Amino acid sequence: MQPSPVALLVALALPFLGAAAAPLVYRLVGERTAYFAAAVAAVTFLLLAGEYGAALAADPASSGLTYRWVPTLGVSLTLYLDGLALLVGFLASGVGVLVFTYSGGYMHGEPGQAKYYATLLAFMGSMVGVALAADLVALFVFWELTSVTSFVLIGHYQRSDSGRYAARKSMLITVAGGLFMLVGFLMLAFVSGQSAELARTFTLVGTPESLIANAEAVRTALEANGLLVPAIALVAIGAMAKSAQVPFHIWLPNAMEAPTPVSAFLHSATMVKAGVYLVGRTRPLLLPEAAVPEWTLLVATVGLVSMTITAILAVGATDIKELLAYSTASHLGLIIAGYGLANEFGAETGAFHILNHAVFKAALFMVAGIIAHEAGTRYIHDLGGLRRDLPITAGITAIATLGMAGVPPFNGFYSKELLFEATYEVAAHEGGLFWLFPAVAVFGSVFTFLYSVRFLMLFFGERPEGLHAHRPPLPMLAPPLLLAGIAAFIGLGGVAGAFGAEVPLVGGFLAAVVNSSALHALDHGFVYAVPTKLSPYFVMSLLTIGLGTVAYPFYDRLHHAVRRARALPATSPNWYYDRSLSVTNGLSVATGRVVHNGVFRRYAYTVLAAICALALGGYAAASVTFPGFEGLAVSVPLVVVLVTAVLGAVAVSRAPSHVAGVLTLSILGLMVAIFFVLSDAPDLALTQLVIETLVLVIFLLVLDKLPSWYGDLAGGRVAADAGLATAVGATVFVTVLVTTGASPPEPIAGFFVETAPVPEEHGLWILEQGGGSNIVNVVLVDFRAFDTLGEISVVAMAALSVLTLIGMRGRGEAETNTVAEPEIEAVADGAVPGGPEHADESGTTPGSRGDADGGETA
Amino acid sequence: MSHPAHVVVAPLLVALLTAVTTLLARSFPRLQRGLSVLGGVGYAAAVAALAAAVTGDADGYIVYALSGWDAPFGIVLVADALSAFFLIIAAIVGVAALVFSVGYLDRETAALSYHSLFHFMLVGVTGALLTGDLFNLFVWFEVMLMASYVLVVYYSGPEHTRAALHYTVLNLLGGAVMLLAVGGLYAVTGTLNMADMAHRLAEGAVDPAPVLGLSALLFTVFALKAGIVPFQFWVPDAYRAAPAPVTAVLAGVVKKVGIYAIVRVYFTVLSAGEVALDLPFVAGDSYLAFFGPVMFAMAVGSILLGGVGAVNQPDMDGLLAYSSIGQIGFIVLPLAVAATAPYGGSLMTFAITAALVYSLNHGLAKGLLFLSSGVTRRAVGSTDFADLGGLSERDPAFAGAFFLGVLALIGIPPLSGFFGKFLVFDTGVRAGSTPVLALALVGAVFTVAYFSRAWNRTFWGDPVEYDPQPRLVAVLAVLAVGLVVVGVGFEPVVAGAEAAAEAAVNRSGYVDAVLEVGA
Repeated sequence: MQPSPVALLVALALPFLGAAAAPLVYRLVGERTAYFAAAVAAVTFLLLAGEYGAALAADPASSGLTYRWVPTLGVSLTLYLDGLALLVGFLASGVGVLVFTYSGGYMHGEPGQAKYYATLLAFMGSMVGVALAADLVALFVFWELTSVTSFVLIGHYQRSDSGRYAARKSMLITVAGGLFMLVGFLMLAFVSGQSAELARTFTLVGTPESLIANAEAVRTALEANGLLVPAIALVAIGAMAKSAQVPFHIWLPNAMEAPTPVSAFLHSATMVKAGVYLVGRTRPLLLPEAAVPEWTLLVATVGLVSMTITAILAVGATDIKELLAYSTASHLGLIIAGYGLANEFGAETGAFHILNHAVFKAALFMVAGIIAHEAGTRYIHDLGGLRRDLPITAGITAIATLGMAGVPPFNGFYSKELLFEATYEVAAHEGGLFWLFPAVAVFGSVFTFLYSVRFLMLFFGERPEGLHAHRPPLPMLAPPLLLAGIAAFIGLGGVAGAFGAEVPLVGGFLAAVVNSSALHALDHGFVYAVPTKLSPYFVMSLLTIGLGTVAYPFYDRLHHAVRRARALPATSPNWYYDRSLSVTNGLSVATGRVVHNGVFRRYAYTVLAAICALALGGYAAASVTFPGFEGLAVSVPLVVVLVTAVLGAVAVSRAPSHVAGVLTLSILGLMVAIFFVLSDAPDLALTQLVIETLVLVIFLLVLDKLPSWYGDLAGGRVAADAGLATAVGATVFVTVLVTTGASPPEPIAGFFVETAPVPEEHGLWILEQGGGSNIVNVVLVDFRAFDTLGEISVVAMAALSVLTLIGMRGRGEAETNTVAEPEIEAVADGAVPGGPEHADESGTTPGSRGDADGGETA
Repeated sequence: MSHPAHVVVAPLLVALLTAVTTLLARSFPRLQRGLSVLGGVGYAAAVAALAAAVTGDADGYIVYALSGWDAPFGIVLVADALSAFFLIIAAIVGVAALVFSVGYLDRETAALSYHSLFHFMLVGVTGALLTGDLFNLFVWFEVMLMASYVLVVYYSGPEHTRAALHYTVLNLLGGAVMLLAVGGLYAVTGTLNMADMAHRLAEGAVDPAPVLGLSALLFTVFALKAGIVPFQFWVPDAYRAAPAPVTAVLAGVVKKVGIYAIVRVYFTVLSAGEVALDLPFVAGDSYLAFFGPVMFAMAVGSILLGGVGAVNQPDMDGLLAYSSIGQIGFIVLPLAVAATAPYGGSLMTFAITAALVYSLNHGLAKGLLFLSSGVTRRAVGSTDFADLGGLSERDPAFAGAFFLGVLALIGIPPLSGFFGKFLVFDTGVRAGSTPVLALALVGAVFTVAYFSRAWNRTFWGDPVEYDPQPRLVAVLAVLAVGLVVVGVGFEPVVAGAEAAAEAAVNRSGYVDAVLEVGA
């Protein structure tokens, strides 16, 4: 059954349109923009809810709606709505309504609200897009948009250093993770194109050709190409980065720099769920029928390890939002672990805990916002006994934290119980090391219990001196109250289940969510209940609670132990992150200093060496043979000329002064001219003489301006220069040798020679057609006049450049004074007289930029 | 010549005419600026007409024999999908930079030679993109470079002079090497016409062995123009020294001419020669097999040096310059894959398509960012990050345009840059090459790292004094919208890039089209 295309498209487009309109709305109604945004979210929610029936009956092979986007690349915008997509869509829009309402109270008087609401709406649209997109490319589009909007929202307090640090960190980790995921997606498309049974496609689900509809064939193709594990790993990296799994969890606590509604929305209920969603979505594709496939080894292990480590870190938190952030990472680990396990309880864990976690965690973030707002602090140490001032909030917190702790009959208990069941099944079946799965699950859950109780204790016990909390305004209280109500409702459903009653809506809906990630559709509905007999997994739950209760009195000791462990660099991923950034920063500065040090000799040396290496490498690779010059007759005058030229060249390098050097150089030039004469090339000889004379004159005119002595040359430098000079010489020599030895058939010059009027019997073709009889002249002014046009332009520009340089001398300085940075001026003023050449030759004066590069390591 | 294909020479003539008239109109600055912008618009129109003509042509080739001298004796201009693709980049970035210049540069100073040189630079670019003759390519390179020398030294302060000196001397060295290589190729193959050269090489009429070394020599020149490591030394200082709109063209267009030359000369022309290769790491019997590993090594160097270098630059111009070195690596990387793929096969075409799309995105986005750097210089008086901060509070429109440019280069969908990254990654996947993928990913992470810092330092933080520049920001906005349009409406773009890549590897089509004229 297909959902209504209009409803899906409008649900997707509406938040973006709302985002575009938000600045204008803000100008009109001010802070009430919050309710405008809430209305947009509500309409989106209702549109999705209207497709409830269609979503529950979705068929992976046919229910997608496809809009062609880039047919050449096989990229489409395929929308697909099934249980899982609907759940994430509901979370995005439903929690959206609550968060926007809450913002109406929380953001009162805050800066940048127009940007805030626009970005938050754009985020919501992106999240709905992530849920609905069934094409891998379209999914990636919305995926990255959530990262970008998250970047902007984390940096909301853009003047604060920690906000900018947090925003950059989250951007680096989530966007980079997304790029890895993109490579994984491309691998999936690639193997679908390689397989004989499939056509290349990016469509994940919803069409007959889609990947999930042909999951078996895709897995076979992946294995045939040896890409199954790389594809799983790459997709998992994307999911881990997004869902803050170890070792990429480090961005999430920093992300708490965002305003609290953002934390509740993006960093607990929705955006971080994108990674989890991806795991659940690709599960039927990448999970083969095996007891412990690669998928389980990778994904379930990552999930359980993350769940445990971040739960421990949560115990070490000093700030309530930090505690919730680590807790979020931990619960996402739980969901991922569930999806990682191959049995049916695994999929049920994932599906149910997505819902439960979103409900209790969003409520708790809103509670944290109330505490911060009304009590004025977020430090756990400074808080306590809040229930007297905030009774309703205390009730909300009790329901939510007990759910988070996994205490029956609160909502989180049931999904955690499913995880225990799933891990126990794997261990009971496989034995051996797989008993680690249930053991780690229980171990991690103990810490979850501990920090949950600690959070709840903010409302109980002694109230510290001077702590006073105001009543929160209704917009801030109603949303968490509603969420707590939902959590309680789900919890009571389990109680009712124990008496054999089925809760309306929840069971059928969750069954559809489970089916989205299950290998086989459930043959029964989704049922859950408070256990009435002592199953092994119920024992695990009781063990968790028991251990937690025993350990709670030692909470402070545990807290300090965790903080000490965190402080060690080797066990702190943050240390690796900061360290790699500062190392890169250092390298960056070094690159400026070492590679681009402003010393021209270094540049020229490298460039010339590379030119020689490539050219000689090319000759060597093709094994060029040198032409034999048999019977080469060299006349006596030629020998004299060439020997003189060589002597002149040697003399140049030994000349005691510039003037002597230039004069000696002209000996070389003159010999070349004579060589041309002897080779019957009077045109060239004339040109050479003219140039030689001009160069000599120009040299003599400017020599005056140059320093007469540059200092002694070090021996090593002389040797290096000699080596480079030899290499350049060898390159040119080999080039000349092999090219002059070549004798191509019918060179185009032959045509000109044959058709020119020399000798007479060839007629006057060139003269008549080209208006001249000298081949060189006619070629220059007619056959290749286009070249000449270009060269004339060059000469004209050369003249223009002289004009510009002279004309800008006065004005240019003025321009520099008003524009360029002052410190460059200072360095330039200090430069040695004699200009850049001098600095280059001595090699000791660093470039002006080299100095400026040093300062910054931020 | 069967039909007068004047449309091919039109962009070049428009630019040349504008260069000359703006020079003549020096004493009337207002008129000069008008002529200059009019010329820019005319240039874009001429390019559009040319692109339309190429698309409409049955074979996809329009050959224009100058003065009516047929190939291979005269010089021909050849317009195909490949040259049209790069001309479009040149037209968009060129016109945007030109309009920006009018509002950016001091009017009195600019009247001296700026407009004329700017159009001369476009003349060189256009000639290089259209010519079918190797020596003529040298000439247009010289035209392009001569203009750029002066534009780099434009402000004539000490640091500008130093940068321009380095830039000029390195490129003069390059010019000498190019002359040596072109002369050598002429001596060995007996022709300068590129189609004729391909034809002769394919026929086996010439000794193929020396051609490889000569083409390697020539390759260094193109790499120098494109600023690929280890030929990148001129890039950071020259980009810092030149006025912002000039840098936008240098990075957005002039670099791409180097890339175009590599694609045209090595894939269309010199791929014809076959010679047994005998070196470690180099196997195969085509010239391209030699250049594959060479380009890969250069891409590695460019992506790493550019990425690392950009992360902690003290100023925006420097960061963008290093970024350009890194991004050019992303263009060379798929070309390296293409060079080792079977000739004319789908992988080669796909990899070249990737390089072309990346070039387009880099041209647009980096052009936008360099112009943004100009806005900062005007509005704040500096591009040093130490002097910047909080500009998003001062000018949200400017911040938005810059943000889009940054996101495009990072590769965030649905902007143009996303598909650039997408195609480069896909090239790596299709080639099954882990090193290519690893390098692309590392480079992409660097891109996020340095651009997030640039954003944080410039647009967030405590606001500095800011003098709004609405007219300049309007130019940025147009380019930013372009990035979105190219990304969302990517189908025609990729179709054009694919046609260009097919033209690049369609040697026989090129040879036939050019030499047929003479037949």
